[in-house]
Amino acid sequence: MQKKQTSTSSKSPYWGWLPASFALAGIVLFVFATFGPPASSSGFVSTLKGWIEWIAPGYTASKAHYRMIPGPASWLFAFVVGMAIGGFVGGRTFPVPVRDVPRIWEARFGKSRLRRYAATFVGGFLILFASRLAGGCTLGLFISGSTQLAISALYFGVLIFVFAMLTARVVYGPVRKEDRE
Amino acid sequence: MTKILLGLFSGIAFGFVIQRVGATNAEKLAKAHLMIESAIPKFMLATVALSAVGLLGLTAVGVGRTLVIPTSIMATGLGAIIFGIGWGLAGYCPGTTWAAVGEGRMDAVFAMLGGFAGTAVFAHFHEALIPLLYDPTFVGGITLADWVGSRPIAVVLLVALFSACIVVIGKLWGRNKEASGEA
Repeated sequence: MQKKQTSTSSKSPYWGWLPASFALAGIVLFVFATFGPPASSSGFVSTLKGWIEWIAPGYTASKAHYRMIPGPASWLFAFVVGMAIGGFVGGRTFPVPVRDVPRIWEARFGKSRLRRYAATFVGGFLILFASRLAGGCTLGLFISGSTQLAISALYFGVLIFVFAMLTARVVYGPVRKEDRE
Repeated sequence: MTKILLGLFSGIAFGFVIQRVGATNAEKLAKAHLMIESAIPKFMLATVALSAVGLLGLTAVGVGRTLVIPTSIMATGLGAIIFGIGWGLAGYCPGTTWAAVGEGRMDAVFAMLGGFAGTAVFAHFHEALIPLLYDPTFVGGITLADWVGSRPIAVVLLVALFSACIVVIGKLWGRNKEASGEA
């Protein structure tokens, strides 16, 4: 993270939220036009289905959740792989190096990678378990659904923000002023 | 094959943009949730508002496919609460995990592994969990348009609501940032 004394956004290598939202809305509409509602948690199911079919083909056929999502030869799988490629290209062409342990996390829990990785594993477990229960994630339910005016999406959106904010308060505790730059 | 290429292209563009705005950076997500930085929530809300207007145009000319995810008061609500806890803890959501792994973040690799585990567990217990949590309070694919009786008016309402949220977030989160600059 670059040191900034002032909060002038022009110095930041990150795109501003408004131009970025025009760019992402353009992509979301492209997806609606060429495929349908964009989704990403389904990509986890699609990938997993492909792996399990190698090992135990009978298992995926016996499970409703795998029957309702196509395997890796699908738009859903191509999309999440594309996201990884897009993130890779973005990262390679970005001046700020990535950190395996975020600075704000390190300030609270120390440098231990194991502790951070354990926390993100648990977090990852929760968000995917929850997405599959609710029928979608931030993209597949909140963004896709709200774009289509779905009540499920607005209901989901309010609660995820509220509970993420409460959880962050508990996880990070009172925020120290040096973390607020 | 066309579908695969379209998916790949859409994913690459999506992953690149969310990297550029900082959504793959768990530090930025933590600061968004702690009301320090307002960029990510404003970005998400503005994306939805713009997409909703655009989708109204697309459907008017008969382009594209829509599919409203139904509401189940219990399953959608409980899912959202568990999701929020995981999101607040890790700073990743399912989509950003993929882009962050591509970017080379090791903590995102573990979020992805956890995600596969969570998916596998839910899929395994789908037959037991859906009748228990999803079906009893299933409401169906209701939308804001059903409530106000007109799709264009519902889009106007949504845009107004989300714009108001952006303004409020800008004020509340911004105040936190100014306070920190003085301290």
